[in-house]
Amino acid sequence: MKWSGFSLNNQPIRYKLIIHFLLIGILPAIGLGVLIDWTASRIIERQVNDYTIQMIGKVNDSLEHYVENVQNMSYLISFDPNVDKFMEHGTYDEMAIRTFMTGFTTLHTEVAGIVIVNDKGNYISNEMYVRSTKSLMEEDWYKQAVQSKGIFRIIGHPSGRNLASHVDYKDSEVVSFVRAVVDPITQEVKGVIMIDLKLRVFSETVKDVRLGKSGYLMVVDDSGDTIYAPNHPLLQTLPEPLAEDGTAPASSGMYSAKVDGRSLQFIYRTSSFTNWMTVGVFPSGEPVSEMREIRFYVVSFAFFVCLLGIMASYYLSHSMSRPIGQLMSFMQKAESGDLTIRYWGDRQDEVGKLGRSFNLMLAQINRLIILTELQERQKREAELRSLQAHIKPHFLYNTLDTIQWMARRRNADDVADVVGSLSKLFRIGLNRGSDMIPLAEEFEHIRSYMNIQQTRYSGKISFTVSLDPAVANLYVLKLMLQPLVENAIYHGVKERRGPGVIEVSAKEEDGAVLLRVADDGAGIPPDKLARLMSKLESVSSEDGSPDGIGVQREISDMNADKPPADVLLGGSSQGGGSHSSGGEGGSGYGMMNVQARVRIAFGDSYGVKIESQVGQGTIVSIRHPIIRHLDK
Amino acid sequence: MFIYGLLIMSFIVYVINYQTSKNDDNPWETTGGLRGSIDEKYVMVTFQSGIDYWKGVLKGFEDAAEALNVSVEYRGATKYDLQEQITVLEQVIAKRPAGIALSAINPEALNPTINKAIEDGIPVVLFDSGTTESKAYSLLATDNYRAGVIAARTMAELTGGEGDVAILYQPHQMNLEDRTRGFKDTIHAEFPRMEVVEVVDAKAQRSTSHDAAIQLVAKYPDLRGIFITEANGGVGVGDAIQSLGNEKVKIISFDTDKGTLDMVKDGRIDATMAQGTWSMGYWSMQFLFHMKHELVQAANWQTTTMSPLPVKVDTGINVVTKQNVDEYYAK
Repeated sequence: MKWSGFSLNNQPIRYKLIIHFLLIGILPAIGLGVLIDWTASRIIERQVNDYTIQMIGKVNDSLEHYVENVQNMSYLISFDPNVDKFMEHGTYDEMAIRTFMTGFTTLHTEVAGIVIVNDKGNYISNEMYVRSTKSLMEEDWYKQAVQSKGIFRIIGHPSGRNLASHVDYKDSEVVSFVRAVVDPITQEVKGVIMIDLKLRVFSETVKDVRLGKSGYLMVVDDSGDTIYAPNHPLLQTLPEPLAEDGTAPASSGMYSAKVDGRSLQFIYRTSSFTNWMTVGVFPSGEPVSEMREIRFYVVSFAFFVCLLGIMASYYLSHSMSRPIGQLMSFMQKAESGDLTIRYWGDRQDEVGKLGRSFNLMLAQINRLIILTELQERQKREAELRSLQAHIKPHFLYNTLDTIQWMARRRNADDVADVVGSLSKLFRIGLNRGSDMIPLAEEFEHIRSYMNIQQTRYSGKISFTVSLDPAVANLYVLKLMLQPLVENAIYHGVKERRGPGVIEVSAKEEDGAVLLRVADDGAGIPPDKLARLMSKLESVSSEDGSPDGIGVQREISDMNADKPPADVLLGGSSQGGGSHSSGGEGGSGYGMMNVQARVRIAFGDSYGVKIESQVGQGTIVSIRHPIIRHLDK
Repeated sequence: MFIYGLLIMSFIVYVINYQTSKNDDNPWETTGGLRGSIDEKYVMVTFQSGIDYWKGVLKGFEDAAEALNVSVEYRGATKYDLQEQITVLEQVIAKRPAGIALSAINPEALNPTINKAIEDGIPVVLFDSGTTESKAYSLLATDNYRAGVIAARTMAELTGGEGDVAILYQPHQMNLEDRTRGFKDTIHAEFPRMEVVEVVDAKAQRSTSHDAAIQLVAKYPDLRGIFITEANGGVGVGDAIQSLGNEKVKIISFDTDKGTLDMVKDGRIDATMAQGTWSMGYWSMQFLFHMKHELVQAANWQTTTMSPLPVKVDTGINVVTKQNVDEYYAK
């Protein structure tokens, strides 16, 4: 049960519906048909059997009537004085006897012949004569009559008689009866009267019976010989009824037997007078004609129900499963990305409602997607702006200008230079106008920065800056180079013995601007480099991967907590302590920031690349798209 | 759709099967060919119904009934009595049988009764002895005139073609008169040295014929032959001639009952004329069956003027002599 339920659940809904309709529509019809058939056949069978037994009883009565008539005839003949004289061997008038016997055949046309034999073997008959000279007393029927001692006896079909019928009635066409005439005093047999009855009267009686079943009647005598059977009987000899349990067969009843591979049903009734048994032989399993008719109608009914049922179940299941299938194919299309698909249809049923809900859902999804995109963009922009949010630049510029002016007055030119550079650095770095600045300005900014650093590490670092004039006017994200240069100072050149060189350059390459910061410092050990590189790669433009977000968070957090200069200068004023102690986490921070900004702004095909060899130096390059105009 | 087709196919097969099996209601009685039903009763009506002659006809009638699966009944006037036969025939018609085969005792007197049966829609055919003017459809009988002709030629053969001959008959019975006529005409036309000296009414009985024969022999010393037109007389004449010890008189009798055959066998009768009695009965039944079941060309035989059946059927005549007499005994 569980299994079938399981398998049913896996079937398409169409088949499920068909199966349900068929079960509900057709099974009861077939069940009803079978039930009616079964009940009707049982009732009709019983009634027909009862009826058949009654009819057989009537047939027996008719047959008895004929036989009784013959018996009476045999007595009438023996009462005739002339016949008596013939039996007594006296003088008799043969003509008179013949005329007398003609009377019987005239009135009883069913009599085929009458023979009177006396105990000398002489005979008188109108219809029959002996074939050979052999005495009739040696005939079997004569002996049987003698044995019966005056009791009327049925011989059945005669066989091998020494008598010929002048009108050619064959042995199979007559049934023979004999009675011995016995002297009342001496009890000696004086002669025998034999009467042949035409089988025709029996067969007409038997055939005239209309049986309820398809089958036929046959008549057998007490020794089992057939008296009458139709032209094409199903069997030659009757199987012994109830032979197996040994009980004497009842005077009427029914039984079944298998003859020549056919199973037959027998309904019989024995006549007490003739001891003949009239048997109805019916092929079992062959339904009576009324039953056939009922069955015909039942089958027709079941057929039409099946026809209608199948048609209806196909139609209904189709009408139900088709829109569902349609809806399903729509959903599959939507699933594979086509959100513009819509369900068309004005059905008011559940499927229609489902379709409309589907449409609403798709619209909702579309709106949500657009909303998400918008929110994402806004979020990124907000993050960028927050980088610059907390600086109050003008106060700083003015202060720095004041310092520079004071330094010049006191002829401290070096101080004035440094302050000038710092002022320039801030001017660019805190420029709120735009995220993008021309490359020349970015380089100006980095030059100022380097100026300051050079002053700080006098003699230890030397810078070379080369800006390809072709790219000088292209716009780039501002403040990209400073963190990289800072890294190069603190992790590259500072770590090396002796003075180091930092090269900053920009040029166009492969349809992009390539900014390059190279140092000949300590370099990065390979394992650390690998980690750094994978970290860089994990910063993506789109996803909120933990690293990218983390970087951005850190940036904004730091902006919030620390003075802005700290950001801009990478904490250099505090000395390299935090960076050197922070390990690669510290050194990566500026780079990550740059990477995140580039990728968020332009996508994953741009960004930071790092190459390094221990003892040789490090090259960090930024791939940046070519932007000639700011389209605002 | 496949299942659909399958279902319709199987249903059609079932219906056809049902229709065909419905028709063969009783396969055990079938002999093939024409089939009637057992409640159709055909009646054979004769006169002097007890005589042996009819038994042969009745046997044929019964055999045909057996073959056609119908019932038969045999009725008849027990005596040679016109009124009795009319009464019997009326009674039979009243029972409305499927058909009547009738041997008419009288060529005219039965006509109204026969016509009445036909008007009632009961087919009637005549056998052995017919009528002159009735509407009965057919007569199946020996061509009695021709039987007389053949008897005459046989007589001429026996007597060497010369001498006096006499005829025993019974008046007012068409078949016997025809035989007499055929005999007389032939003797007169073909055998000039022979002469029919007397035609005697012998009442168709053994004793009267016996006496008539003795008188004839006494009256015509040149008598060479006697032709008896019916069976009963033949035996009587045979006995008479033997008792006279007269070897010259040849006897030709009629019909093949046991007594006549025995006499032919031992030479007391020189020849007898065998009729196709079985054929009369058998084909009468067949004719009636065909009429009843409207198997004849004129389906509306009750109203048409067309003859639906062969109007006259000659059932044949054979000469039985000592040489071939054994064939006529029962087997």
